[in-house]
Amino acid sequence: MSRARNNNVRGPTSALTEFLRASGITPTTVARRAATQQGQQQAAAGLSNDDSQQQQDEAGSSSGSRRPSRAASRRGANRRESGYGSDNLDEDDEGNREEDQDENGADEEAVEEPERNSPAPAKKRKLTKAAEAKLKAQEKKKAKGKGKKGSDDEYQDDDDPYTSLSKSMWSSGSKPPVGDFENCAKCEKQFTVTKYTMAANPGPGWLCHVCAKASGKDPFKKPAAPRKRKAPGDKREVVHFVENRLPTLVNLCIKVVTQHIDDVESLGDIGTLNVEAIAKAMAKNRSLTAENAKLFYNTTNSKLVLYDATNLSSPAFESLVYLNPNLTSLRLDFCGQLDDPAFKVFTTSLPALERIELLGPFLVRSPAWKAFIKAHPNLEGFLITQSPRFDLDCLRELVSHCTGLKELRLKEFGKMSDDFLDEIADNLGGQGDSESILEYLDISSPGGESCSDAALVNLLSRIGGSLRCLDVSKHDLLTNAFLLGGLQQHTHSLESEWENPPLVSLDASRNPELQTDALEAIMKHSGTRLESLNINGWKDVEENGLRDIGRQGKEMRKLDVGFCRNMDDFIVKAWLEGEDVKGRKKGGCMELVELKVWGCNRVTANCPKKPGLALHGVESHIIRRT
Amino acid sequence: MEDDIEMQNTVTTGTSESNNAANGGTDDSQRANDWVRIESSDGFSYIVKRKVAQASGTMNNMLDPHGGYAEARTKICTIDERQANLRAPSYRSRRELTDAISRGIVTEKLVEYMCFKSHYQTVGPKEDIPVQEMQERIPPEIVLEVLLAADYQEM
Repeated sequence: MSRARNNNVRGPTSALTEFLRASGITPTTVARRAATQQGQQQAAAGLSNDDSQQQQDEAGSSSGSRRPSRAASRRGANRRESGYGSDNLDEDDEGNREEDQDENGADEEAVEEPERNSPAPAKKRKLTKAAEAKLKAQEKKKAKGKGKKGSDDEYQDDDDPYTSLSKSMWSSGSKPPVGDFENCAKCEKQFTVTKYTMAANPGPGWLCHVCAKASGKDPFKKPAAPRKRKAPGDKREVVHFVENRLPTLVNLCIKVVTQHIDDVESLGDIGTLNVEAIAKAMAKNRSLTAENAKLFYNTTNSKLVLYDATNLSSPAFESLVYLNPNLTSLRLDFCGQLDDPAFKVFTTSLPALERIELLGPFLVRSPAWKAFIKAHPNLEGFLITQSPRFDLDCLRELVSHCTGLKELRLKEFGKMSDDFLDEIADNLGGQGDSESILEYLDISSPGGESCSDAALVNLLSRIGGSLRCLDVSKHDLLTNAFLLGGLQQHTHSLESEWENPPLVSLDASRNPELQTDALEAIMKHSGTRLESLNINGWKDVEENGLRDIGRQGKEMRKLDVGFCRNMDDFIVKAWLEGEDVKGRKKGGCMELVELKVWGCNRVTANCPKKPGLALHGVESHIIRRT
Repeated sequence: MEDDIEMQNTVTTGTSESNNAANGGTDDSQRANDWVRIESSDGFSYIVKRKVAQASGTMNNMLDPHGGYAEARTKICTIDERQANLRAPSYRSRRELTDAISRGIVTEKLVEYMCFKSHYQTVGPKEDIPVQEMQERIPPEIVLEVLLAADYQEM
């Protein structure tokens, strides 16, 4: 607190301190006075103020000599003060300087010489130079509170203020009323008393504004500095989660791997199965880099999967190809940095490639695609997601060159249109005697408009025979007609002409137009063999249709009925246990392994479960956890 | 930090060998000071404070009494490395045994990291965390196994 006073902090205070401040009494003032008195008395400190003051007055008989003798005694006291603790040396300097400052009149030299110690002359020289700044420096030092010195200050202040303050109160009395004239205790000039008038340091009297300011205790000085210090203190209360985040163990391990990447032996033996798991673990953190990826490269690799190639740049892709020349199957997810030059290397240096799966190769341009396709006529799997540059020309090349194509995915293509479908139908579809061999077709999420029923029906009529897997999600314009006409239609034609293996997997999610009729059609057609059905988004499917799945879908392994609003617990029960038909349980999806019911509000936590069945998406499960 | 763990080499029987199963663990304040056991597949056991085990997301869920897992009752978390490699698509083909050795060592590294993490999670923003030291304590011979286990344990 005393430190605060030294900085003229004006915080909320008691009445006493308010008064003291008004009278211009500070701890340093008091301490000095007390020390002076102690020095004079050389005895117990419990003297009354009046006595000490009187003695002081006696010591200095006239007003003229009052100051110097006071200065002398003070200096003596200060020297004794320094005896309290050796760390007080600086204090000594400043204390002396301050006193000297008070008497910057002519008396300095004459009076101080005989009284001073040897170090004093040096101090005097310093004094005259840095007159103004000293006291401020002194205050600053007290603010910093250098260890013992600070505590010494406090001790002196703490011991004395309560006694000395009361003395000063009695002695100095109250300030003369504002407006009166007073003689300055220092320079003897007349000045008007204001509320800012400060008491003179050594004893009674008042300082004019000039002298008060010169002594360093500017009454107008605003306590700005301490506030600044408080604010950052408050800010530090906030816990900075981001700065302090501990790296996860996975991160640490990846760093260690990167360190030792060149010394493959040291990393221990990793089996083939683990490589995938490691790749997945690294991809989760997006920490696969050109360095780490070397872990997976091997000239004997025939299959390579990188789940997150975001950090691989174009040259990195080139080195990928050079180091894995014998690849037959390549899958790169998030290969956004794959561009034409790198893709050229794909074209030239992967002779054995039969299956390529890319997610996000949007930089590869049409000519590059064409070159690639030409170079790989044996391609059996061409699965590309997200490319706005793959156009009709490229498709033409594809279907004309790669006649052995079994898997085709053109997902999220900007240029998808009916023409595409026509091309596919024309070239890959069976006509006449030849069979189509396309087994997997995924044309979901077209960039532009959805394909129309007619084109799709046409397509299906050509390739439907061999099709095992069809994904036409997000083609909004598809309606019942498609299913009735397409799926049923092609079966109709197929039946007549060749084998009709029913669809094994059907993903028609998020086609909100498709409804119950369509579902029934599906089930009627291929229900008995259907293993995986996704009707996510078919919001209007009715209960009967859903139950039908249970009745007919004996082989059903995976079901996604998300957002089918009519889905509820009873239907699930019917699926799992079969329905009661004349007292006997019949039907049901006994093979069901995975059931997804995201967005089905009526499926509650009470819905029946079966061991071995993974049930995803029950709302109450999720809410309970958080 | 070293007070948090004791290592024993016990034969796991899979039954609920109690380690201070005195309290049913229902009281939250008691729960915080519980000891739980982490077992590796080759018979090493590590007994740590619950707070330390909660550094792992998976174990936290396993031990959560509201979670309904058996581990919450027995307070034993089994880190079976074979489970961590369970990537087989069909639920029918379970444990694909891997021939890797030294599972106890891997679990020990996991526990070490958990102690490190739970200790340094609570220090103020000004203190340095000796991350590099922890990183150096992972020998490259087992780093890949530790990586997979850590990924499974969500830590």
